[in-house]
Amino acid sequence: MIDAKRFKDELTGLLDQLYDSQKDKMEECAQTLKECFETGGVVHVFGSGHSVGLGIDIKGRVGSLVPIHIMEMSDFVSKGGVPVEVFMDRKDIFERKPGVAQKLYELYDIKHQDVFIVISNSGINGIVIDIADLAKKNGHKVIIITSMKHTLAEEPRHPSGKKLYEFGDIVIDNCGPHGDALLQTPSEAKVCSVSSICNNCIAQAIAARTIELMKEDGFDVPVLNGDEEHDAALRKKYEGRA
Amino acid sequence: MDIKKRYFELVKEGIERAYEKELGTIEEVAKLFSSCMRQGGVVQLFGVSHGEEFVNELNYRAGGIALFHGLKPKELVLKQMICPDVIDSGKIYEDREVADLFEQIYELDDRDMYCLVSAKGNEPLILEIAQRAKKKGQKVVAVVNKKTYDKYGGSLLDYCDAWLDMMADEPDTVLDVDGIKTSQISSTLANIIAQMLTAEVYRCFVSEGLEAPVLLSANIKGADVHNNSLTDPYGRRIR
Repeated sequence: MIDAKRFKDELTGLLDQLYDSQKDKMEECAQTLKECFETGGVVHVFGSGHSVGLGIDIKGRVGSLVPIHIMEMSDFVSKGGVPVEVFMDRKDIFERKPGVAQKLYELYDIKHQDVFIVISNSGINGIVIDIADLAKKNGHKVIIITSMKHTLAEEPRHPSGKKLYEFGDIVIDNCGPHGDALLQTPSEAKVCSVSSICNNCIAQAIAARTIELMKEDGFDVPVLNGDEEHDAALRKKYEGRA
Repeated sequence: MDIKKRYFELVKEGIERAYEKELGTIEEVAKLFSSCMRQGGVVQLFGVSHGEEFVNELNYRAGGIALFHGLKPKELVLKQMICPDVIDSGKIYEDREVADLFEQIYELDDRDMYCLVSAKGNEPLILEIAQRAKKKGQKVVAVVNKKTYDKYGGSLLDYCDAWLDMMADEPDTVLDVDGIKTSQISSTLANIIAQMLTAEVYRCFVSEGLEAPVLLSANIKGADVHNNSLTDPYGRRIR
């Protein structure tokens, strides 16, 4: 039977599995982000579709690190001159297109010490792969968050024949199932997706550890604390970058 | 304990707490949703700021129920009806007339109901949407963070048939790193509540002997055909 209790129980088991299997990689990410922030770098977060939720979750609130920049899909239209009809075309789905990412990449002020986090559950669509590829070619460290079960079960859609995880310096498996939904129904369908929950946990855990590492170094950690003056000064410092 | 582990443990405790305290309401809301959907309605979702994470968790989601639709400020930007700054600065939520823009660009139907998400529950736009729905006799469900709601004097719950609590502290930080307060949990808990709701809406359909309209991940071969068969009959009301 499918109900809230079964979701709660299966999710709890999944989070244990996620922590145990990925804790070393999350630690490695925190070290990478620490070095990035301590040298004035910014982390650029890109995820198409629901995956962008990870970036939103660790940004903009009391307790959030400031040098985080979300590369928004909608920037293609609002800043990159892509016509809205092309962007929203249901027949030729924009996030699957290879070769358009350069336009997005060029919109931003990206510096050599910056790090990229690219998130996609399936890891097969054109834009996410192109962004990861571009970042790597430009010498940036690239962190990938994906579902290995999902990505290994699907055929690549990218002309390179590659999938997103193949571009990562660090690859974190969010441990989500193929198709993202956790609970098998008696029919073919599965219900209740878990990637947003798992991705948020990964991102929050890494952010907390990054803050801890910077604090240990005696670094003035750029975190919003709710004090208007303090927060405005921090935002000013990263203006145009994050 | 390793700080990363502590966050995971806090989420797991949150899952138990959400289940214990909210199951009754989750079941009640699932009944409201499924009954609206069975009568040809769509559940319209709108979230303020980080509340949009909850909207995304239910709207056109792999393993989710198809009959939700999100009112998205970003689409107003794409259609050049508002500037991006209005969203970034949060001014959009102060402007009741944005509700008119949503009515212009979306096909909203009297059979629909609303699920409105805001930690504070006091922003003029979300109150306007709630009031318009109530005036038409439509059902309204809210998701708020009760501690934040009380602090900021929210009034969204005055217009709601049922409401859920994200159950986070105010401000929403669960860890303290040597004096730095950090690590939010409200959106993660809200996402978990959204998925518990999904499970219960599914159960409501099945218990009536009906097939639940469940979407497949768009990144599975053949999923587009299945998903379109669920959403096409609703035309622009869903996508």
